[in-house]
Amino acid sequence: MASTTSNAPLVTRRAQRLLGILLVIPVTLMMIFFFILPLGNALVYSVVDFDGISSNPPFIGLANFQEMFADDAVWHALKNNVIWIIIGTITPIVVGLLIALLLWGIERGSLLYRLIFFMPFVLPGVAVGIVWGWIYDPLQGLLNQSLGALGLDALQRGWLGDPTWALYAVLATAIWGGTGFSIVIFISALRNVDTELVDASRIDGANGPARLWFIILPQIMPVFLMVLTLTLVGGFSVFDIIFVMTGGGPADATETIGTYAYDQAFQLSRIGYGTTLALLITVLSVPFAVLINRLQRRLSLQGMGA
Amino acid sequence: MRKPAVVLAASLLSLTLGGCFGGSPAAEQSAPPQASSGPVEIRYLIGQPESPEDLANIKAGLKMFEAGSNGITVKLDVVPAENMKTILQTQLRSNEGPDVFNYDTGPGFGGALAKAGLIHDLTPAYAKYNWPIYDFAKQRVTFSGKLSGIPSQLEEIGVFYNKDIFAKNGLSEPQNLNDLMAAATKIKETGVIPMTLADKEGWQGGHLLSMALSSEVGSDGMMKFISGETPWNDPAVVNALKVWSDMYEQKLLTPSPTAVGYDNANALFYSGKAAMNPTGSWLAQEIERQSKGKFEVGFIPFPSTTGKGIFSGGLGSGTFVSANSKKIDASEKFLNFLVSPEYGKYSVEKLQDIPAFPVDTSGIKATPLFTQVLADTAKIADGTGDFGYNIDVLTNDAFNNAMSKGIQGIMSGQSDPTKVAESLQKNFKKPTA
Repeated sequence: MASTTSNAPLVTRRAQRLLGILLVIPVTLMMIFFFILPLGNALVYSVVDFDGISSNPPFIGLANFQEMFADDAVWHALKNNVIWIIIGTITPIVVGLLIALLLWGIERGSLLYRLIFFMPFVLPGVAVGIVWGWIYDPLQGLLNQSLGALGLDALQRGWLGDPTWALYAVLATAIWGGTGFSIVIFISALRNVDTELVDASRIDGANGPARLWFIILPQIMPVFLMVLTLTLVGGFSVFDIIFVMTGGGPADATETIGTYAYDQAFQLSRIGYGTTLALLITVLSVPFAVLINRLQRRLSLQGMGA
Repeated sequence: MRKPAVVLAASLLSLTLGGCFGGSPAAEQSAPPQASSGPVEIRYLIGQPESPEDLANIKAGLKMFEAGSNGITVKLDVVPAENMKTILQTQLRSNEGPDVFNYDTGPGFGGALAKAGLIHDLTPAYAKYNWPIYDFAKQRVTFSGKLSGIPSQLEEIGVFYNKDIFAKNGLSEPQNLNDLMAAATKIKETGVIPMTLADKEGWQGGHLLSMALSSEVGSDGMMKFISGETPWNDPAVVNALKVWSDMYEQKLLTPSPTAVGYDNANALFYSGKAAMNPTGSWLAQEIERQSKGKFEVGFIPFPSTTGKGIFSGGLGSGTFVSANSKKIDASEKFLNFLVSPEYGKYSVEKLQDIPAFPVDTSGIKATPLFTQVLADTAKIADGTGDFGYNIDVLTNDAFNNAMSKGIQGIMSGQSDPTKVAESLQKNFKKPTA
């Protein structure tokens, strides 16, 4: 194995090594206390039958994992997660990118637009859920009243109580709340796009979609992948907005792995099984995050990106 | 280099394992050291009351205690009722629990805490203070032969109805289920919601089944279900669920009940937009506040196919002392105040909260509705009335979960009474002595 040697004096090399250790210590401690220990705890919980109270729960081996794979409710919740991931990832990114492109060339009032679009993202998820819960109320809600005023009474329904629509109603709220993030990030990325290339492609006859696909997107690809990673991983672990708006109901219609894990752990006092379900979220989401991260790094090394 | 790595790994492992299950429950330890001198502050944890007025009255009651407590003060902590279980269990497990707390008495609640040794045994305090709690109520807080709490809040579940809407439509108080269905159908034709029903939260499902089933099978029949003698997939359960299923199908309930929260459903009743409200006597005070000067309210049991039916009655909750409290003596003195005639009368008059011990109600200014509730619950106490049971405070967590989700399924067209009854039986666990 080849080793690299430094020509720097020994004292300097020691100082560099010490500095390196000092710089790494805070992150290492954070990793230990906020990632490794909780993960270790979760692994321990997943092999015991812990009810949240007993101090000496029985060891049950892989029984929680066996139960998880045989549990129909898990597959139902996973199906909802997949719907959430597909719609909840694609929509904010596509809508966010389109709005960012519209705002790209705007100088006047650009700050105001950004403020308006970003506002829902900074609102607490619980507040957003409660307010949209009112909007969706079957009797007094703004949505049904507006539909009634427009003569569309046939479309009125109890949005959050209708098993066919409830998940999409919550998803629409989440998209409303999350798109502002994509917009602001994409606007920032677009500022670094080489406009001379865009102008040149326009002169060469490239239309809008072609300019976006061949000129703009490659330049903002690392940022695009970063937004994709965050929304995708958020889709796996979605919890708060569903918990506030429907609690996973009616009768499991909007249950995702996150809400199901909470139910099992805290409503049914099955901390062990709930933790096993939470581990499933990690196992499913980490490979996606790693894959996109590697792609992002490769593109950066190739010199692409804003 | 290996040794530090091994030490680090061992430290991480011990931290991981140590952080998982916390310390041993108090029952396995010696009694915690007690505060023996000076002013004592005890922390009292309760779930959020129905209204700010109720909370203000609770605080005023605590002031009464502090006025005569010789230096014991009470710090009141209020948490959302739906989060009580999670918060309380976490606090008790980490030895950061309240000294005194109000909590459900069911096997999955107070029973589970008592089993884990997290609740202080009050048997000696019962003997010392001679608390006059009704025997049937004491049974609900007795776990493994130990008296673990002070039962409170005698309550009944039935149907509040707007007497003015009934009179306007020429309807009288329903005498059986057919009467109720006929009245609801007639009210629906006038554009008023016959029965306001919330099932967004899910817990209401337990009350719906409790009242329909109690009226149909009576208290003895209910006890057979709760003890496991009769299976939960019995036709009586299917029929009781079918009553609600039929009302949903015939649009006699709030549109989309699973999209409507408890407060919103109650608001429909307060505003006169709904004629009936199936809920418990704990809401009587708020209903009277909201309907005052607008309409008269009656309170009846949910009718059975053959008659007027019976109320589902029982205990709402209990007050417990944490086993890890360092102020057990002061906590017991506080409990002694809660079962005093003075506070009993106060809680009836101001909180409309009926204690599980005899209270002299003479001279109490009670509205007709609350006078009726008082008279009814007195029959629970002296055993002269036939009362059904509120199922969810007597059954296990998995059963309650199946009940609330199953009834949500019925109320959203995803399930049917037979399937729900089968699920109840599958998840039912016979109570242990």
